[in-house]
Amino acid sequence: MLLTSVIIVLREVLEAALLISILSALSGIMGISRQWLIWAFGCGVAGAVSYSLGINVISDLFEGTGQEISSAAMQFLIYVLLLVFVLLAGRSINGRHSHGALTAIVMAAIIALAITREGFEVLVYLFGFADEWRQSLAILTGALIGAGVGISAGALVYYLFSNMRRRYALLYGLCLLSLVAAGMISQAALLLIQADWLPSQLPLWDTTAWLAEQSITGTLLYALIGYEATPTAIQASCYFGGLLLLLIAVLVLYARTPRQTFRGTPD
Amino acid sequence: MRAVMRTTLLVLLWLCGNREVLADKPVFELEIRDHLFFPEVLVVPANTRIKLLVSNNDPSPEEFESYELNREKVIMGKRTAVIFIGPLLPGEYPFFGEFHPETALGKVIAE
Repeated sequence: MLLTSVIIVLREVLEAALLISILSALSGIMGISRQWLIWAFGCGVAGAVSYSLGINVISDLFEGTGQEISSAAMQFLIYVLLLVFVLLAGRSINGRHSHGALTAIVMAAIIALAITREGFEVLVYLFGFADEWRQSLAILTGALIGAGVGISAGALVYYLFSNMRRRYALLYGLCLLSLVAAGMISQAALLLIQADWLPSQLPLWDTTAWLAEQSITGTLLYALIGYEATPTAIQASCYFGGLLLLLIAVLVLYARTPRQTFRGTPD
Repeated sequence: MRAVMRTTLLVLLWLCGNREVLADKPVFELEIRDHLFFPEVLVVPANTRIKLLVSNNDPSPEEFESYELNREKVIMGKRTAVIFIGPLLPGEYPFFGEFHPETALGKVIAE
């Protein structure tokens, strides 16, 4: 029970924690106050609670595929918001924070959506055992350990980016976000295949023997860059198409920024 | 303008027709009882899209999960979930209940 609980909570927390740590590190680097995090957490928790309370109604929508459709919609929205964030952050590379407020709202929306999606499953899992109090302690302990490990991983990423030089932190941070975003869009495609909204195909390749999705590295890479051992052609094209679009945006904005603008800024 | 409307109508008709085709997928049923899957082994035709109905007879929620099938779905207590799987190459595809992975185990065999 304890181990199950650790794994379930860790898997969910890890994805949200990585997004939170990258965005709050970049927020600090861009000189935007981190107050948006409070709003993001508030809305995210409220979203996760509402989603889990309404799950029976949501599940019945779209001929029983409401869970897939709503989750895919949230992931697609996160992708679009990450694209907007990249464009805004790219503009502020050269030190002008003309869109600071808008950037903060976009970051808050990304995190709120991520917490809604990931928090929902944790809530359903934890409340499912609320009646069995004997098991509850093991489950709660496991949940705390899982959350702790997830948050520590996030903290590691946060300090990694916070200690980089500004120019590199922004470049690497935006590239990493592009990978996370590509993972989101390929997951959204997978959910639409599961709901039968997109045609299903045989997997393009199978890298399970090389790196299983359920292994520790596989789980980490899944959370970080959306690793999938047996993707279909639709998923792979969504992944690489989504990634390319974001990376082009990052590189164009980066190339247009004159190097001199960084000389005066403290690292 | 008329051409545009006609094309739109044709596309809509095609989509409606397609949805009927989609509804014809073979249906297979799985049941969750006391954190166990019934049947534990589900034999399905290979290379075919399948509509899987998973009914959870326990009061507690479960999550149907399979790395091999690439599927993941929360099923609340006393509810039935629809999950589309396949087409699958002949072979074995294990699945499990993520909330009770010690007992809720099963596999799909495509042949």
